[in-house]
Amino acid sequence: MTDHDDLDMRAAEFVLGTLDAHERESVAYRRQHDTELDALIRAWESRLAPLGDEVQAITPGPDLLARIERRIEQMEADTEEARVVRLRRRLRYWQWGTGLATAAALVMALLLVTPLGREATAPPFVAVFHQDDQQPAFMLTVDLASQRLNVQPVAAEPLPDKSYQLWIKADPLGPDPRSVGVLNDDLSLDPGALSHYEPELLKNATFGISVEPAGGSPTGQPTGPAIHGYLYPTEHHL
Amino acid sequence: MSDAFRSSTARDDASSSASSPSDRLNGLLQRVALKDREAFAQLYAATSSKLYGTVLRILRHRGWTDDVVQDAYVRIWQKAGQFDAAKASSITWMVTIARNGAIDELRRHPARRVEREEALDDVASVEPTAQARLETEQDARRLHACLDELEKGRRDMVRLAYLDGWSRADLATHFDQPVNTVKTWLHRALKQLKGCLSS
Repeated sequence: MTDHDDLDMRAAEFVLGTLDAHERESVAYRRQHDTELDALIRAWESRLAPLGDEVQAITPGPDLLARIERRIEQMEADTEEARVVRLRRRLRYWQWGTGLATAAALVMALLLVTPLGREATAPPFVAVFHQDDQQPAFMLTVDLASQRLNVQPVAAEPLPDKSYQLWIKADPLGPDPRSVGVLNDDLSLDPGALSHYEPELLKNATFGISVEPAGGSPTGQPTGPAIHGYLYPTEHHL
Repeated sequence: MSDAFRSSTARDDASSSASSPSDRLNGLLQRVALKDREAFAQLYAATSSKLYGTVLRILRHRGWTDDVVQDAYVRIWQKAGQFDAAKASSITWMVTIARNGAIDELRRHPARRVEREEALDDVASVEPTAQARLETEQDARRLHACLDELEKGRRDMVRLAYLDGWSRADLATHFDQPVNTVKTWLHRALKQLKGCLSS
């Protein structure tokens, strides 16, 4: 028997399930670095998969999904990703709440924030806005201590006869977004535009940038396709 | 428009009717990779009975199965971004994660599993569901044709191992053969299957 045959049989038995615990661990570990073994395992997985058609589908208990979701939440509670999950929930909430669910060009934003109360060494709060989840559109830098902001376009460009408008939404401000300001033609914004908002409010706020008629929304509420974001920590130990 | 923000169930139902079940699962997995919780719930609704049935058949214990299926979905949540539709079908990828978890558990704690001499009857009697058949009908037909070419004892070994999680030792006891003989038979059966499938 050749080495290749040996390896192929180990892959086959790994997939079949007949290796003992120690052998399984060893194969599982080795496949991470051994692309040949990994490919052999995948080939056996797809070869034998139709056998699984014989298995009778059985509906799990009604509580299992909630259990799984709780586990996922716990697992991510201390990670930055948890902020992303919350961000997305807030985004939807805002979309629905402002009738923007049908907006044609939703853009996602991640805002990176540093912890409050850190001294001069603390970096500023940075926001990266990802257009269509891929293309960074804007970066927003917020210094929570001085409540100063800086908006920088990344892929976003000035639109003819349109303006970008920055919005803030937070529970203490009520259900509707409030305008922070209309971006200038060079896509900058007054650095003091957030100065009358408390740092704690800023930390938990949702931010949005919408595309509006030149000069800003005529209604006082976002009317065009919106770009949303939520403060997001850069530090793990927040 | 980004799929990650498509949260209307009505729209998802409308779009899924126009595409195949595996396209729909692929789309859901892509959204889960972006941490879309609604897509995750839909993915769970579409696949949990298949994964649960797979694991329960191996472990034969509901509480144990709950734990393993929970771990499987946590892993699916974490690894969705690594799923590659060019390398595997989405349902095979997910079932594989659940099966691996079940077999790992069973090999680590063999004593936890209760008596299962009745398993052989199940293997012979349970028919695949029509829906499961449809998804991979052609592959399934080929595999079953090739399984039918195996000598019956070896065919049963392959099915008991794959479907019910039997170890070499379990098979040796049941077929009243030394473990090494079982290993040799298994290897012959697997090679014969591979040859038949590639012909």
